[in-house]
Amino acid sequence: MTEGYAVSVPKGYRVGSWEVRDPIATGAFGSVYEARCTHAREGLPKSAALKFLPTGTGTPRQLTHLRELAEREVELHRRLTRPRLIRMYETLTVDDPDHPDLDGATVLVLERAEGSLAALLARSPRPPQGPALLAQTCEGLAQLHRAGWVHGDLKPANVLLMKDGSARLADFNMAAELEGTHAYTPAFSTPDYTPPELLWSEIGERGRQIRPSADIWAFGVLAHLVLTDTFPLPGGTPSARRDAAVRYARGTDELRLSPGLPDDWREIVRACLARTHQERITGETLLRRVETAAGATRSPRLPRLLGFGRRRRSSVMLGAAAATAAVAALGYGVSVLADGGSDDGKGSGPTKVAPASYGASELRTDKGVPVAYRRLIVDSAHDCVHPEVTPALIAALLKAESNFDPDLSDPTVGEGEYGIARWTPSILRWYIRADGVPAKETPKPPLTPAESIPAVGRYLCFMEPRLNPTGLSGDRRVLLAAAYRTSYKSVNDAAGVPPKYRDYADRVAHYLKEYTPPRKK
Amino acid sequence: MYSIIVVPPPTTEDGHNGRHTDPQIRLAPGERLTFGRSETGNGLAIAHEGVSRKAGAITAQGAFWILSNFSAHQTYVVENPEGAGEHIKVGPGRLDAPVPFEFSRIVLPAAGDLLPIEVWAPRHDYLRSPEGLDGATTAPAFSVDRTKRYFAVLAALCEPRLRGEPHAPLPTVDQVVERLRPNWPAASRTSVQWNIDYLAVKLRLKPGPDTADTGPRLNGKKESLVSLALRFDLVREDDLLVLTEPSRAAR
Repeated sequence: MTEGYAVSVPKGYRVGSWEVRDPIATGAFGSVYEARCTHAREGLPKSAALKFLPTGTGTPRQLTHLRELAEREVELHRRLTRPRLIRMYETLTVDDPDHPDLDGATVLVLERAEGSLAALLARSPRPPQGPALLAQTCEGLAQLHRAGWVHGDLKPANVLLMKDGSARLADFNMAAELEGTHAYTPAFSTPDYTPPELLWSEIGERGRQIRPSADIWAFGVLAHLVLTDTFPLPGGTPSARRDAAVRYARGTDELRLSPGLPDDWREIVRACLARTHQERITGETLLRRVETAAGATRSPRLPRLLGFGRRRRSSVMLGAAAATAAVAALGYGVSVLADGGSDDGKGSGPTKVAPASYGASELRTDKGVPVAYRRLIVDSAHDCVHPEVTPALIAALLKAESNFDPDLSDPTVGEGEYGIARWTPSILRWYIRADGVPAKETPKPPLTPAESIPAVGRYLCFMEPRLNPTGLSGDRRVLLAAAYRTSYKSVNDAAGVPPKYRDYADRVAHYLKEYTPPRKK
Repeated sequence: MYSIIVVPPPTTEDGHNGRHTDPQIRLAPGERLTFGRSETGNGLAIAHEGVSRKAGAITAQGAFWILSNFSAHQTYVVENPEGAGEHIKVGPGRLDAPVPFEFSRIVLPAAGDLLPIEVWAPRHDYLRSPEGLDGATTAPAFSVDRTKRYFAVLAALCEPRLRGEPHAPLPTVDQVVERLRPNWPAASRTSVQWNIDYLAVKLRLKPGPDTADTGPRLNGKKESLVSLALRFDLVREDDLLVLTEPSRAAR
């Protein structure tokens, strides 16, 4: 049965040294058939998967883009062989004038897989070997990115499962080699796996610009789907999910991941699905975290994959991962309470809409500052007598520190940084109390926004008079943020933002400008 | 990530030459634009005595938009300029009425004048496969309506190259007008031009480095549109029928 197949090839059809057997799958552009080798040659397996791309001139519609897609795939396979990428043995061109719809088709002879992740998910949602498969998928992405390529169309149908149960990446029609920081791919994508910045993105004559971070987003969606059997963005239809992605990227909606997601994976998915491509985790860091998470989650069917050979983690690392998971679990519960509290806790009846415009004259309402924190941010700034400590500054600082993530947990930095303001608990201790007296004990994470944000206001207010009154270069508000990140002493010593923190300061300055209403600029 | 474009009505100073000096306003899904006479509190202030101080609001909703009529007595008509009289009425006080057209013109009755606000919804999706928009299938990033005039304009621009001359010069705007006139008697330089500009928005053409000046740019824009359309097979040889056959759409 090849009904609905992009290319229909009869059983028994001969091409090169191959005889076509049963159909395996079809994509939007080409179709894949099982084939067996009729005369054995060195380096060729007994059976393979033949991918037919209708690139001939006799195809019913002369689809020029197909030729480009075929070339991309062949090019990648020729230049790149990696353990986690499906292998290509050879390419052939059909020469058969009697079959005009096949004549001229490009045939890729590929390593034969047992099935795809898409088929596995359809058969058994939330498969027990999911974490191990995700780790291998991630390894494939890392191999691709390390070699300077972007996949461009990562999704379950393009992750193939081999006979031994391991996963490999396939389908490189959209793959592109990086030119500097980005690559050009054809303007095709799979809606549910497309990062928001590529939805409705501009398209030049060379196609559209894509970065490795697009694959990272797709991996985040894929991981959420594999582990929870749901998409991370809400909506019953692809267009509803696309709109949800746009709202999330614009900052009008928060990311609400499935409660069924294990805690260590929650952080990973969150890091993959960061709003902008700059904020997304990169391949190597992601791989380390995914492997730790997959190793911590016992996979019954792939025991020998758990060690990950050369990447074996020490028990110390696993311990740290377990601690992170515990922190994330608590942080999640608290943030839910905090959100609910600020929605309906303050005021009543008609003021229910007020949080959205609270302090609108000092803090823009349309730039993605989460409504749940507006009141905390604005009130915390007003508590300080120094005019430099503004709501927009606190909001910009929170954006730069955590992207307003109340669940942030980074135990690897120094003694650990937590919560929406990335407080180091031993420093927070001095500012957590409204009366200015240090807390008796160092606060323990999770740190709630209700604790973190007012303390930011107090700390900035404390430092403002301690920054040198003259001789410092730069916007004093940005200098305050830099002092928050380092210390007022190091800002005074550097007579400005210390070089190491310039990126951070630039981001604060950017958001400060964005969050300040026009007449206050 | 905008999905809706609002073109403000021509103001009295530039109204006589029919050119818009106000910039287009782009709305992302969920964004809301209020309009009315009052300078404060309206995203789009319309300086006309006959318009309510707070006249209404346009909210982008995914790929389409909704209209609220804040006036106490006036009904707003939303026309589909390509729909042969197709229109909807949004009565006084009606909130969040959905508008289904890709192109719309809101007509505001204003003390004897009719003020048009144009609203474009260039992200409308159109059927690609029998199953419709499927989140798991690799799909082209463009979605065009083959019954719209912009598609006929695109087909006319691509025609020489689709007829087998890959480096044929592109038709001029006047030639396109001539080519389309049998099926579209009202075609004019201005309307063809308008459709070329709209296509650049619709296909999200990346503006070239020389976007600033409009004269010689036009050719660059046509050239980019054609090369994009041919590269991604937006127009194929069998689509050239739209140039000869009466369209399926009511014109």
